Amino acid sequence: MQNLIKLIPLASIMILMLFAFVIPLLKKKKHVYKLTLVIMSLVTVINLIHVVYIALNGGYLFDVGHFPAPFGIVLRIGEVESGIGLLFCFINLMVLWYSYFSLEKEIKSNRIGFFHTLDFLLLASLLGIVFTYDIFNGFVFLEVSTLAACGIIVVKDKKANIKAAIKYLILSSLGSGLVLMGIAFVYSISGHLSMSYIHEALIQNAEGKHNLILISMILFTVGLGIKGAMFPLHIWLPDAHSSAPSPSSAILSALVIKAPIIFLIKVYYLVYGTTILSGTVVLDLVLFLGVLGMIFGSLFARSQKELKRMIAYSSVAQMGYIFFGIGLGNKLGLIMAIYHIIAHAVTKACLFLSAGSFIEQTGYKTIDEFKGIGKEMPVTLGIFTISSLSMIGIPIFPGFISKWNLAMASIESGKILLLFVLIASSLLNAVYYFPIIINGYFGEDNLVGKVFNSKIRPVRTLLPLIILSVVMVLAGLFSGFIIEFIGRGIYI
Amino acid sequence: MQILLNNYMIVGAIFLFGIGFMILLLHNNLIKKIIGMNIMDTSIFLLFVNLGYIKGKEAPIIIDGVMHASGYVNPIPTGLMLTGIVVAVSVTAFMLALTIKLYEKYGTIELDEIQNLRGD
Repeated sequence: MQNLIKLIPLASIMILMLFAFVIPLLKKKKHVYKLTLVIMSLVTVINLIHVVYIALNGGYLFDVGHFPAPFGIVLRIGEVESGIGLLFCFINLMVLWYSYFSLEKEIKSNRIGFFHTLDFLLLASLLGIVFTYDIFNGFVFLEVSTLAACGIIVVKDKKANIKAAIKYLILSSLGSGLVLMGIAFVYSISGHLSMSYIHEALIQNAEGKHNLILISMILFTVGLGIKGAMFPLHIWLPDAHSSAPSPSSAILSALVIKAPIIFLIKVYYLVYGTTILSGTVVLDLVLFLGVLGMIFGSLFARSQKELKRMIAYSSVAQMGYIFFGIGLGNKLGLIMAIYHIIAHAVTKACLFLSAGSFIEQTGYKTIDEFKGIGKEMPVTLGIFTISSLSMIGIPIFPGFISKWNLAMASIESGKILLLFVLIASSLLNAVYYFPIIINGYFGEDNLVGKVFNSKIRPVRTLLPLIILSVVMVLAGLFSGFIIEFIGRGIYI
Repeated sequence: MQILLNNYMIVGAIFLFGIGFMILLLHNNLIKKIIGMNIMDTSIFLLFVNLGYIKGKEAPIIIDGVMHASGYVNPIPTGLMLTGIVVAVSVTAFMLALTIKLYEKYGTIELDEIQNLRGD
């Protein structure tokens, strides 16, 4: 039984990869939907069992193909990895469920099979990045995820999509070039690819090679920073996330930019380790760029006219919080970075899906045209409101928990000035989310000519959104439990 | 200076990397960008293969009996680069396909012209 459970991480990757290539063989769309939902539910359920097992018994190392560590590929499964794996599977399940009702309105019906193939490949590669303990394996999964992510952008086949995908692909291949160079540098010092062996070799050989180690660290930071939308390198994100079909946007924003961050954290703490890391300026750099992202991401979001573009820029700001948490360099900051990954993934999936259903029902795109939407689609705007309250940081929602604890972590590390940054960024979030909600629900002239519930969608199509928002609120309510769980498996 | 001359392979690889990086970043023509990406990837392959090469030792392929382990080089860097080449080829193919699509939609592959088109 134990051995079976330990197979789950590998099995979920294999199942997804296998069925990704079965889907194109199916002729009828209905069968595609049924098969994808069944497979995704299966993968989510086995990941849930896996998280329960990890919570009871702790983490372990898994040798793929029974080859021991320096020769074979090893998966490292701990609390963080299994939790993030479950999160990715769950959100993907909800998004696919939602797309069952809306995807055909956005992309051609002969491409629906392709969309699901790419989505399965994407999820499999993201899980691979999260689970892996071998940096080259991580690099290969990163490349697969980039190609699949470009695929789910261009599946819409509009002018803007192709341009956005090219921009994303160019910057992403820059990033992967830098990561591969970083791996080459690390390999030349250590001669290993498995993270724990590199760590030992680096500790032994660090004498006189500080510059080489620093260069490799910066290569990893910039390369993975491009993929994870670190502030000045985020320029591909708004185009890609706003032009993609809404389910793709939700997946891109909630999952695709998170996996490189997990990989970056693993590289920092499992490859280099705290002793080497604390002697360099890299974490300060990450902190600085995170702060810039928090402020400027929100400022850019404020000046956007299109709803989806605004939400995409808000992702840049929220990624800033995650980099902020990593950059603080203490245990609480790192835990909060991972908690914020969870919080932001759930919340942003909600936001993109509800924005997608506004656009789908009304045909409008810009924020001004959504005035009075609350009368026509009260439930969807309600979900949008809850998620934006979480983004702003109203108590009990997960956004508040992470901001509060990030503030605690910055006090703990003695950087009091950063509190002002957190407050300013929260206020800026409020500045661009509240007008949409207020104009949506209230105002005399906004509601003229709007018929109550005229554009509401049937409840069964809203069910995945409702479940996502309930899970979001639960993630806020049970934050103590989640934080404790992450804290047990944290790398410091 | 002597160090640079002794490690001429690494120096060359880093030079190529810089050239490829700048082409990928600064040129507006998409085909040139793709060429730049390939130069960048090739430089990394050169660096890795150089790391795995030791003069006078053989690849671990058994022909006439087995030598002592010190007679062979470590095959992992070369093996990694096979994977790297496959990845680079697939990214290049995908990028070329997207370039064709882009040309069909916009009628040009110069990114600055496309950027200006958005204004109308």
